[in-house]
Amino acid sequence: MISTASIIQSLLSGMLEGMNYALYCLGLAFVFGIMRIINMAHGEFLVLSGYIAYWLLVKWGFNPLLSLPIAAVIAAGASFLSYRVFLQRIRTTAELNTLILTFGIGIFLSNLYLQLWSADIRNIGVDWMEKPLMLAGIYISFGEIITFTISFIGVAALHSFLRHTKMGKAIRITAIDRDAATLAGINVERVDLLAFSIGGLLAGLGGPLLGMLSFVSPGTGLHITVKAFILTVLAGVGSIPGLIAAGMILGIGEAMTVTFVSSSYRELFGFALFLIILLVRPSGLFGKRI
Amino acid sequence: MKSYLPFQVSEKKMAIVTFVVVLTLPFILSFNPYYLSIFISALILGSVSLAWNLLAGVCGQVSFGHAAFFGIGAYASALLVMKAGFNPFLAMAGAAMTGVMGGLIIGIPAFRLRGPYFALSILGFAEVMKLLTLNLTSLTEGSKGVFNIPSLPLIKLGGMTFDFYISRTTNYYLAAALMFAIYLSIYFIRHSNIGLAMSAVHGDEETASGIGVPVFKTKIIALTVSAFCTALMGSFYAHYVHFLNPDSAFDGFWSVMPIVGSLFGGIGTLIGPSIGALVITGLDEFLFKRFFETGHKLFFGLLLTIVIVWAPVGLLGKWVKKR
Repeated sequence: MISTASIIQSLLSGMLEGMNYALYCLGLAFVFGIMRIINMAHGEFLVLSGYIAYWLLVKWGFNPLLSLPIAAVIAAGASFLSYRVFLQRIRTTAELNTLILTFGIGIFLSNLYLQLWSADIRNIGVDWMEKPLMLAGIYISFGEIITFTISFIGVAALHSFLRHTKMGKAIRITAIDRDAATLAGINVERVDLLAFSIGGLLAGLGGPLLGMLSFVSPGTGLHITVKAFILTVLAGVGSIPGLIAAGMILGIGEAMTVTFVSSSYRELFGFALFLIILLVRPSGLFGKRI
Repeated sequence: MKSYLPFQVSEKKMAIVTFVVVLTLPFILSFNPYYLSIFISALILGSVSLAWNLLAGVCGQVSFGHAAFFGIGAYASALLVMKAGFNPFLAMAGAAMTGVMGGLIIGIPAFRLRGPYFALSILGFAEVMKLLTLNLTSLTEGSKGVFNIPSLPLIKLGGMTFDFYISRTTNYYLAAALMFAIYLSIYFIRHSNIGLAMSAVHGDEETASGIGVPVFKTKIIALTVSAFCTALMGSFYAHYVHFLNPDSAFDGFWSVMPIVGSLFGGIGTLIGPSIGALVITGLDEFLFKRFFETGHKLFFGLLLTIVIVWAPVGLLGKWVKKR
């Protein structure tokens, strides 16, 4: 069973999957890094956009790649509304309140999906995506390459947005020192609203990709939130390039677990790694010491 | 907080009223087995909410994964009886200790950091425990589940016989007694030095450690006590329903509902969470499920959102006097 080809196969599919993990958790890591809010509804926003893409495909036959921006904007809208209606009111109170609040929003959304779309798992599969590419005994699907590319673009776009645009710099300054940002004439309330909506947009980019590669269901959201948090801790808070590396470590580790141990222990790898990181290096692999 | 309410009740009186209501409820419901079964699960939930609140309301450490302890307790108790031949009452104690072990496994790494790390780690822990239960098939029967878990043995006390196999009423009163015991322990912990330390940790960790409160140790104590009580209720649940599978024992319900119950009942009080859990179970059973059969839990999310934004002390919290 264990051959060089199978090792290379798991390395490669782990890397492809890891890039997607980086995208799935980007929204959560971004919001946590900038606003110190863990958005427990992150996964539900992601699943929402997945369902939107699924609907567009089933009802009107939209190409999932075309519905990606639409779904992402809708997820950003849901995120915007959650912040505007609820989060803004308790932003300044204890940190745990925002945690419970977003958890409540998440429960509301996941049960809404259950009511609207039932508990069935939904796949947004298209024929041309599942076409395999064989390279010297290594198997890759065309869809995997596409989602890898989209994920890479998403992460890179966020990184350069934060580095090179005026708005991105305003967001970074607000994260470092709110008072100084206010003195410099930045409307920090607006920045918070914007950052949280961007978090929703990033989550929204992940949903259709998740639907294409595997499936979405009402239970997926919480699972994604946990995975995103594990990855954020692994990478270290505030390190966006670190997310890619951490995503790939997780992806490769999981693929290796599937190849050499058993597919049922796949999820265990991430959690074990997470506990070890908490014990050994709580600031994450690429984060600054806290 | 300045009160605009016409009257306020002290914590103790509120607790007495609650337990009187709990004790008389079967008579009001004329021992209807269907209603009794609803309120037995309400009492289980009430007890878990009390335990959750010790950790979150008193010590300030929110947990999103109490289902882990509940499931550990349920499975440990069932397996101790069925595979190791323990007496069910002894197995309950063993199961509660297993819950404590679970608490240590997750608490020691996660409490090294402040903020949301613990809340989310324990959520992952609950998922992993469910996964392990699913996959360690030689021990737990995996997704098939454990059938025919024996009920608690008959007790003969004076002229009275307590039969846990046939009588719902007996089970109801045992659940009530467990809830009462958990409440009392939490009450005494809260009013001891450890309780003061927990309260200090909740207020401000840095100040607490500055005046010599061992923050890490205090959090661990709060977690283990909470895990102990939750696992105890899980074990009661196993012997009461006679059947477990990973989905029922580690159901997200056991993580979510204590939060909803506690916040609804008043996170700053000690008895509030159990009242909240009892009321919520009633509402769920007789109201929410009538509206949305599949997605009735969306009301819990809505309730949580509304309470935390507009009434952070909880709906009943306003009636309870702060000492």
